[in-house]
Amino acid sequence: MLPRCREDELIVRQLSDETLVYDLKRDKAHCLNHIAASIWRHCDGSTSVAELAVMLRQQFQMPADDAVVWLALRQLQTARLLEESIELPADHRRCSRRTLIRRLGAAAAVPIVMTILAPTARAQASALCAGQFGNASFCAMFDVECTNRGLMGCMDVGGNTCDCR
Amino acid sequence: MEKLDRLGWAAGLTFVAHGVRVGIRTTDPGVLDRAASCLPFGAKPSQKECVDLLYSINVGRQRGNVKYFHMLYANDLRMVRTLYLESIFSALRHELEACVLERARRRVFLHAGVVGWQGQAIVVPGKTWAGKTTLIVALVRAGATYYSDEYAALDLQGRVHPHPRPLSIRKENGETSETPIETLGGRTGRGPLPVGTVLMTHYRPGRVWRPRQLSIGRAALQLMHYTYSARLAPERTMAVLLQVAERARTLTGVRGEAHELVNTLLDNG
Repeated sequence: MLPRCREDELIVRQLSDETLVYDLKRDKAHCLNHIAASIWRHCDGSTSVAELAVMLRQQFQMPADDAVVWLALRQLQTARLLEESIELPADHRRCSRRTLIRRLGAAAAVPIVMTILAPTARAQASALCAGQFGNASFCAMFDVECTNRGLMGCMDVGGNTCDCR
Repeated sequence: MEKLDRLGWAAGLTFVAHGVRVGIRTTDPGVLDRAASCLPFGAKPSQKECVDLLYSINVGRQRGNVKYFHMLYANDLRMVRTLYLESIFSALRHELEACVLERARRRVFLHAGVVGWQGQAIVVPGKTWAGKTTLIVALVRAGATYYSDEYAALDLQGRVHPHPRPLSIRKENGETSETPIETLGGRTGRGPLPVGTVLMTHYRPGRVWRPRQLSIGRAALQLMHYTYSARLAPERTMAVLLQVAERARTLTGVRGEAHELVNTLLDNG
């Protein structure tokens, strides 16, 4: 298992303790803490999971084992920051941050990848129809398809107007 | 677009806002004034014919018993089709707001209220109904200068500029009224300010303000959640948000009544 980090269509900004990544393909932004960022940077297609664990122990002077690396890889895979999908071992598929913290005894040893979906400009504009959900045009007020694409003034079949509050 | 261009466009106007040039044309000259009332805050008329965005309002006619739909187009994309003309103008107002703020050339806009306090800005990001205006009013009444209750206009150095449109104060029935800040005894800020504090909060009755501070990376990520230009100009947006996050302390937490938070915040500096 030799994971490789994705490089295409990404904007990467390295901070002192964190790394910010914007995925141009999916319009998602990620914040990697120092553990996750270090693992991601060292995923070069020729470093094994065991070697990544050794790197963590040396770099951060902290207890780290394969479980930390697998947790990071699972999060990076979910965030689509790896070049290819990886097969997670069965006993690491459900290993949570909480389990790791209990075992290793230090919250700082846990890799964290936080993700948001970058909003569209229209999602920010005030007073969009309360019934609009993402790309679907559905008016919750009238329980019908929104006739005005979720903008104010959508109508039900009786001609009544939703005021979209 | 050619098909659309062939319709009988009777009147139009061009404006520029934040470096974005927008045209509006209509088949009925009688609605042009109404369309003009939908322009975003700070828009100025322009004489240029070449525009970045073109909105077209096709006003439906009534012929005998047949009533035709009114339609709004953004370039060649039909945005709205409705029998109610007022819906066209509601949609136009929101479209103009979104598109101008998304495309602004030298600003990155956040959906946020802003006040100035002791030479720095306090930025309160939040969507509609989050309680931004209530908090901004409370801060102004406590002596802060008013910058905006709706948008934080960040320049490329991460400083926030005034955008002092009248406050949209919501009444109990949900309607909003436009209230100049001077009516509330406040004063408007003038020059740009560096951001000193970012408050990520929302109102819950009875809660006590016990914030925690976010790291720089998390702060920048959360700020992106309220940004207009995140998808269109992600590199520029990230650069500006990082400048803000590096300089400001970002506090997050649920708040109770606005005046309680204001007392805590302004007393602690």
